[in-house]
Amino acid sequence: MSTATESAGARLVLNIYIGLFVLYLFLPLAVMSAAAFNAFDYPSVTQWQGFTLKWFVALAHDQRLLQGLVNSVLVALGVIAVSIPAGLSGALILTRLGQRSGTMLYSVLVSPVLTPGIILGISSLIFWREFGVPGGLFVAVMAQSSFIASYAMLLFLARLQRQDRTLEEAALDLGASHLLVFRRITLPFLAPTCFTAAVVAFLQSFENYNTTVFAIGGEWTLVTEIASRLRFGLSPVINVVGVIFVALTLVAAITYVVLKKKLKA
Amino acid sequence: MGSLARAYGRPLASVIAGIAVAWVLVLILVPLGAMVEQSLWWRDSKGDASLSIDRLYNDISLIELDLETETDPAKQAAFDQSLVEKRAEIATLEAQETNPPKTYGLANFTRMSGLHFYIFVRTIFYALLVTALALVVCYPVAYVVALASGPRKAIILMVALIVPYAINELLRVYAWLMILDYRGVINGVLQWMGFIDLDAREWIPFLENPSAVFLAMIYTYVLFMVFPMVNTLETLDRNQIEAARDLGASTFRIHRRVIIPHAKPGIAVGCIMTFMLSAGSYSVPAIMTRGQGGDWFSQLVYRQFYESNNWNMGSAYAVSLLVVCTAFILLMMRLFGVGLRDIAK
Repeated sequence: MSTATESAGARLVLNIYIGLFVLYLFLPLAVMSAAAFNAFDYPSVTQWQGFTLKWFVALAHDQRLLQGLVNSVLVALGVIAVSIPAGLSGALILTRLGQRSGTMLYSVLVSPVLTPGIILGISSLIFWREFGVPGGLFVAVMAQSSFIASYAMLLFLARLQRQDRTLEEAALDLGASHLLVFRRITLPFLAPTCFTAAVVAFLQSFENYNTTVFAIGGEWTLVTEIASRLRFGLSPVINVVGVIFVALTLVAAITYVVLKKKLKA
Repeated sequence: MGSLARAYGRPLASVIAGIAVAWVLVLILVPLGAMVEQSLWWRDSKGDASLSIDRLYNDISLIELDLETETDPAKQAAFDQSLVEKRAEIATLEAQETNPPKTYGLANFTRMSGLHFYIFVRTIFYALLVTALALVVCYPVAYVVALASGPRKAIILMVALIVPYAINELLRVYAWLMILDYRGVINGVLQWMGFIDLDAREWIPFLENPSAVFLAMIYTYVLFMVFPMVNTLETLDRNQIEAARDLGASTFRIHRRVIIPHAKPGIAVGCIMTFMLSAGSYSVPAIMTRGQGGDWFSQLVYRQFYESNNWNMGSAYAVSLLVVCTAFILLMMRLFGVGLRDIAK
């Protein structure tokens, strides 16, 4: 099962190291989650005043956080609407371009992934002000899309590399129109990637802070609202948001792994 | 372009090309250009303009007084003439005061104060330190996940790494804020052990130390180093390691000659991502210092935009950061001999 390239002692040291690393990753999250259930009105685990769910109720009545959640979803949907067509177009062009011009375009299209998030936010803010659009949800959509479209494109590129082009050519030879071929062959082939890319885009957008905080102006998303709350005293309501995030992530990660295993089997 | 039209037909090909061009222009290049342009000009507000205007108004009232007592029409005409001139001068000065003329140049970059430049350099230094530390910490982790464990354990480890990676970066920072806060976990434990008394405000102010930002930053971005390395190491044929061992190579030599050379693209990507994220991070310093401290360069940029309202200066700061990050990427690509296509996978 395991490749025995290490001595028993070395393997023990490695295992302890990994254990400590995982502990390092999870302990802070566990502390944060536990404090959400503490009746003490300052997020703490050391001053335990009994189990409570009142912070969950408080969250349900927190209008600004709920509005932030709605805004986050709106922005994420906007990002999907912009970045999926953009990423798909970029990938389709790149697979048909020659080596030289392909590399040029590729560098430009991938560059937002390697650019610090705050720079994307700033440049979008400046650009859209020229058209009289102040910072807000729309500018946040544009700023986020600039790099999320690149991620979508990379996913589409990977899928297109495995495409059997003879299928499209055969259909064309048999007299199908270009539009029909695209609709009946190309798109169905790319459909699973469209779905994956949409999920990735949604998550990336929902989680984003560094780009959004510069582009959002006077509006707010769930994440920027949490951040501005943290500046003025801590509240266990934020821990409740944390618990929900942790729980959702755990469920999603486990489902993903189980599904992947089932697909392989 | 021709092959695109051949494959999808002219109408569809032009739609595809149109969307891609719009993406490149509207979302990437022109905003970047707008930012660079903004960083290259400023409005000259001449400090003495209001003084000159006041002096001119004084002159005018004096002339008007003279004019009332004057009876000689030739002299009256001369006074009228100078009144008109002075009023015109006031008008141009006032226009300049409310809407000063644009001047292009590099002054936004050279005008960066000593303190801000110090923070700039320190941010880059800390970001390099975060990157180096993350590399050292993550290499064994990536090695175990990719090579030194069975498939079952590898899957469990992957989940264990993906979950904290997928949790919002703010919440990860918040967890550390809770730990290091005045009434945080560490101070709580110290009180429980009887070393300090929180009610007497005897806490240890971890948050007031810049290393708090550093600690949280490593925690937040360490996993961006792990995944690229795991991805490349997974493609290494384990037989190569076996062969090296059979031929008598020591563990150290195997890592140096077989595993690390294979992991190069992953190391490069990990370093680039970690450096870029930490040098440009706004979330970690803003939360760890509660918006009070100005320890990180991104906070200075934010203040130029949202507090000083000096977008020109803010753009210059942002461009400086971008230049450093680009230089770092190019350096890593050269150092590790990888191309852009290896990086973005």
